[in-house]
Amino acid sequence: MDGEPAVRARGLTKRYGDVTAVDAMELDVPVGVAFGLLGPNGAGKTTFMRMLFGLVRPDAGSVEVFGRNVADHGVAALAPVAGFVESPRFYPYLSGRANLEVLARLDQPYGDGPDIDLVLETVDLTDRQRSRVREYSYGMVQRLGVAAALLRNPQLLVVDEPTNGLDPAGIRDMRELIARLAGSGITVLLSSHNMLEVEQVCDRVAIMRRGGIAFDGSITDLRAMADDVGYRLTTEDDRRALELCEHTPGLHRLELGLDGLRFEASQSAVEDLTRRLGAAGIGTRELAARTTALETLFFRLTESRSEVLM
Amino acid sequence: MSSTTAVFRVEWRKLAAQPRLRAGFAVLLIAPWLFIALVLHQDRLPVETLYGRYLKDSGFATPLVVLVFSTQWIFPLIASLISGDVFSSEDAHGTWKTVLTRSVSRGEMFWGKVAAAFTATVAAVVVLGTSATLAGVALVGSQPLVNVGGVLVPARSALGHVALSWLVVLPPVLAFAALAIAVSILTRSSVLGVLVPVVIGLVMQMYVFLNAWDTVRHVLLNSPMNAWRGLFDTPAYTDPLERGLLVALAYLAASIAISLIAFHRRDITGG
Repeated sequence: MDGEPAVRARGLTKRYGDVTAVDAMELDVPVGVAFGLLGPNGAGKTTFMRMLFGLVRPDAGSVEVFGRNVADHGVAALAPVAGFVESPRFYPYLSGRANLEVLARLDQPYGDGPDIDLVLETVDLTDRQRSRVREYSYGMVQRLGVAAALLRNPQLLVVDEPTNGLDPAGIRDMRELIARLAGSGITVLLSSHNMLEVEQVCDRVAIMRRGGIAFDGSITDLRAMADDVGYRLTTEDDRRALELCEHTPGLHRLELGLDGLRFEASQSAVEDLTRRLGAAGIGTRELAARTTALETLFFRLTESRSEVLM
Repeated sequence: MSSTTAVFRVEWRKLAAQPRLRAGFAVLLIAPWLFIALVLHQDRLPVETLYGRYLKDSGFATPLVVLVFSTQWIFPLIASLISGDVFSSEDAHGTWKTVLTRSVSRGEMFWGKVAAAFTATVAAVVVLGTSATLAGVALVGSQPLVNVGGVLVPARSALGHVALSWLVVLPPVLAFAALAIAVSILTRSSVLGVLVPVVIGLVMQMYVFLNAWDTVRHVLLNSPMNAWRGLFDTPAYTDPLERGLLVALAYLAASIAISLIAFHRRDITGG
């Protein structure tokens, strides 16, 4: 197991009829990092994760966990892995605690994980452990999903869109929980379509697009590439401002919408633009960054037809 | 404890926690008592049903009349409700991905669930049979029973025959359970897992009423369901029992084989 990445995908391919969900995917997730898997809906993240868990059989290629092929070794390969794909699901007629007891029993051959009280406390569900899952909020089910994963005492925690459907407080708590787990030495593979979330939690990131990997590197590498930010500008005369923008160097993807002008630009180009607007006598009502630098890069990587950066 | 045993125990815990299943068992427990109580309070008897005319003469007629009713559609329904649901409820709740990402293989999951489904189905039949026997003996009495051949069977012997009759319907009931499992796995639908085996049972029943080709009739599950009647003749005959056992085993083996292959090959994409 030493020296092997936590996850290694080689030529991994899955097709559903004419649709290729994952296309010859190559990926290494190093041990001990918080790894973000980013991509828009339909990019193939969930299909990849289902293959990682052995829920879906690849049409070609392989996926290994700590050096063991999932297709060949089955549950033995997945012994160090826990997590959930899409939203976690439980038996609604059982309590949260009973669900965990049932799952703990299914883990018994490898059952040296922490006790149920401890994981319930970790995810802050001790008070509601006796309530039936059908009475849980969405956020509580998500947290129960993390508890179910922790029961396996995993070396690799795989979570898919863990903050989907949560309220702002739930999002904050879930991100803190995952960051805390990542900090405890567990390798975390976090799938998300939210750049900000990955940026906050992860050290490395892979960006998926149309079943393949469009970027694979550290968050620092990604930041270095992301020099342009998306902006929205509203003025007293947007049409004149548009003409001015068209003649201002360093502005890209310029478009005029109902809510003003949208463009991408570096910091220096924006400074230049504000000076030009003032000189032209065009009053600025609002100039706001509508995406972060990384989000802008994410959109560029996932929306462009051919760009692949590694 | 093996993983298959772990799955078996988990399934039992889940089954026991479901209110509808508890309600179903309560119905099986109470229904025979209500039935014989109503019969005793009316003048007419279900004389067209085998042993119906003896309901007031011997308590052992009660479990036999209940058995006749049950073989027509209650057993297929019980088998479908329990066994079909053991698999398709995972689809309904989207929990395949939850249980199949733990430390049990698909093979262990399959056999553990099949064992739990069969055990629960057998338990339901035993509850119904025991309840019907107790209801008959308690409310009518343990008088000797007149058999199909017109011979009076002593109480002890009649009880043994009743127990044996309920025992020999278990293979075809389990064949219906296996059919329900196969339909549930193939269709991934709780509703079809229950409905299809019941409809199959009714179609087979209709074929028997038509009194058409014997060859076809012998390979239907109704034959083993009704083979117990030979035990109540004088002299008793067991040819239908032996043939019926083979038919039930064939249905059972084929359904389980299809289910196992389909379950292993299936991609878990829902939930």
